[in-house]
Amino acid sequence: MSERASETAFRRMKDLPSTHLLGAGTATCAGCGGLQAIHEIYDVLGEKTIFVNAAGCMTLLSIYPFTPFRGSWLYTAMACAPAGAQGVRDALDILKDKGRIPAEEDLRVVVLTGDGAAYGMGLSSTSAAIDRDLDFLYICYDNEGYGNTGQQSSAGTPHAARTSTHRGALGYPGFKKDLFSIWAANRPAYVATVTGAEPVDLARKVEKAAAMRGPRLLIALSPCPTGWSYEPKDSVEIGRLAVETGVWPLKEYVDGRVVHTRRPRKRVPVEEYLRLQGRFAHLFEPERNDALLDEIQARVDAYWEAAD
Amino acid sequence: MKTASRILGSAFFREGFEVQDAPRYGAERRGAPIFAYVRAAREPIHERGVITRPDLVVVADDSLVSVAAAGVLVGASARTVMLICSNDDAAVWRERLGLDGPVFTLACEPAPDDEVRFLGAASAGAASRFTGVIGRESLEHAIREELQDLRPEAVERNVGEGLTAFDEMEAHAGCLSEGTIRSAEAYEDPNWVELPFEGVEISAPDIHGAATSVQVRTGLWRTMRPVIDYDRCNRCSWICTTFCPDSAIHADADRTPRIDYDNCKGCLVCVAVCPPHAIAAVPEQVAVAADSEEAST
Ligand SMILES: Cc1ncc(C[n+]2csc(CCOP(=O)(O)OP(=O)(O)O)c2C)c(N)n1
Ligand code: SF4
Ligand code: SF4
Ligand code: SF4
Ligand SMILES: [Mg+2]
Repeated sequence: MSERASETAFRRMKDLPSTHLLGAGTATCAGCGGLQAIHEIYDVLGEKTIFVNAAGCMTLLSIYPFTPFRGSWLYTAMACAPAGAQGVRDALDILKDKGRIPAEEDLRVVVLTGDGAAYGMGLSSTSAAIDRDLDFLYICYDNEGYGNTGQQSSAGTPHAARTSTHRGALGYPGFKKDLFSIWAANRPAYVATVTGAEPVDLARKVEKAAAMRGPRLLIALSPCPTGWSYEPKDSVEIGRLAVETGVWPLKEYVDGRVVHTRRPRKRVPVEEYLRLQGRFAHLFEPERNDALLDEIQARVDAYWEAAD
Repeated sequence: MKTASRILGSAFFREGFEVQDAPRYGAERRGAPIFAYVRAAREPIHERGVITRPDLVVVADDSLVSVAAAGVLVGASARTVMLICSNDDAAVWRERLGLDGPVFTLACEPAPDDEVRFLGAASAGAASRFTGVIGRESLEHAIREELQDLRPEAVERNVGEGLTAFDEMEAHAGCLSEGTIRSAEAYEDPNWVELPFEGVEISAPDIHGAATSVQVRTGLWRTMRPVIDYDRCNRCSWICTTFCPDSAIHADADRTPRIDYDNCKGCLVCVAVCPPHAIAAVPEQVAVAADSEEAST
């Protein structure tokens, strides 16, 4: 991280912009961690960006005649935002080649989807876009469930979380899919994890991704007061705890290597993170489920042992 | 309210009624008005869809009365019973709304040891009593059945709230009268707008303006208002303006933060992240009252 710090415009909080591009007045819930990440990302990407947005909560961003964006936005079905991005990229390239738009009017093509699309339904069209070396940035705001339809479990749901499809005492029986590694295995230009509660780390990664070409992915852990069941004001606290407990490692894949951009020196017990969220309340009440809590902690420990 | 309607529906069912109950959601977000309908009859019910001529209207939050999208009075007639969860009493509401029919209120004040009153269970309890045909046991059973996933203490609290409201309304038992069944022949089309099929250039319209969403007054969602104490504020506006999920805080050139109250949703993330604790959370009603006092002096 340190050798790269000199290349970035974002060294500390103070370097972040105080004027923001994304318009207020959208329909997302108060305290939405996904919107927070998107507004931070948009500040770095800039206005010359076209978002290709698959069905999900962020479909509600742009509802005719209102949009929070200063550039274009296109809505696609849940599984095929990368295919939509291919069409947009091709159209822009053709317009440029024919001289119908000058090079400086070119747009950055950005796919914006939730985890339901990124980890599951849209993975096939994503894989095909990577195969074709499509020049695009994929942003997944990961609220760990099908948020817009009432937080059903998705392939991004963490083990033991209670969702509207897994309401039992053990919550979701599966494990969060490792989307980062799936992408990295395909040798794309760039993959990184971010979260809105760590805006400097986020801004650096967006800055870096924006300067590259080819398939690039940013996965933003997006605390979701509605789906995770907590008070909206806690969104930043929960995002920070996800990083400090080691539950959400901040890392990037670049030039064939995975680098952790933040190594929590002394990891906070995962319990601190889980306890704030209603979706994990069954781990503490009516009685503490030590076995399950230990299992979750052990998985986080094993991850960091392998990483260190 | 969805839970209240389920409880009321199940209680009717236990008394041998045919029942329909269905929620209707508007925008999927916290604080958006939601509706729930219950129909009950001794005979099979052939009517479907939303209830357009209610015999009973329960308003769970009195701030909804002034929200046009909530339409709490739509379809109400002189025989419609109104139950409003409010600290203002029934006479005030009768006067305010110009209603001739029966109006009752459930006070929102919690019992001395409780933090909040569970108005869902309480309104189901009151509504059950109004029907005059639902017994205490059926009500209790319905609450337990509906809330079985919750912690035992929460279930007991809800049962207590439901039964207390049921008892509270003893004097009004049976005030609700059965509506008449409408025949299919009397059906009138809703007043909807016909949209002819149009070409793609019209039916998939473009937005050419930038950031037009600021015109949507999401500030109306707010129940708590963040208020900056400028004497304490450090002018570190990169913090609050970045973390505000809604871009509802802007900074002047000297880094003085300004909250855009037309759009601030009141999530209070800014209150939580401000390093010197310079932002206070004030209940919106208190802030509005203070504003109007200031304006009048
Ligand atoms: C093929 C398809 N199946 C189901 C849906 C219904 N649907 C709309 S949004 C959504 C949830 C999407 O989840 P995610 O991608 O995680 O986004 P979030 O809602 O969490 O923002 C679903 C299932 C759909 N639009 N298309
Ligand atoms: S459900 Fe969650 S992700 Fe969706 S708008 Fe609400 S807070 Fe944001
Ligand atoms: S974070 Fe707090 S102290 Fe800093 S500018 Fe905002 S209100 Fe002022
Ligand atoms: S309460 Fe929420 S929406 Fe309002 S200014 Fe603070 S952070 Fe922004
Ligand atoms: Mg999701």
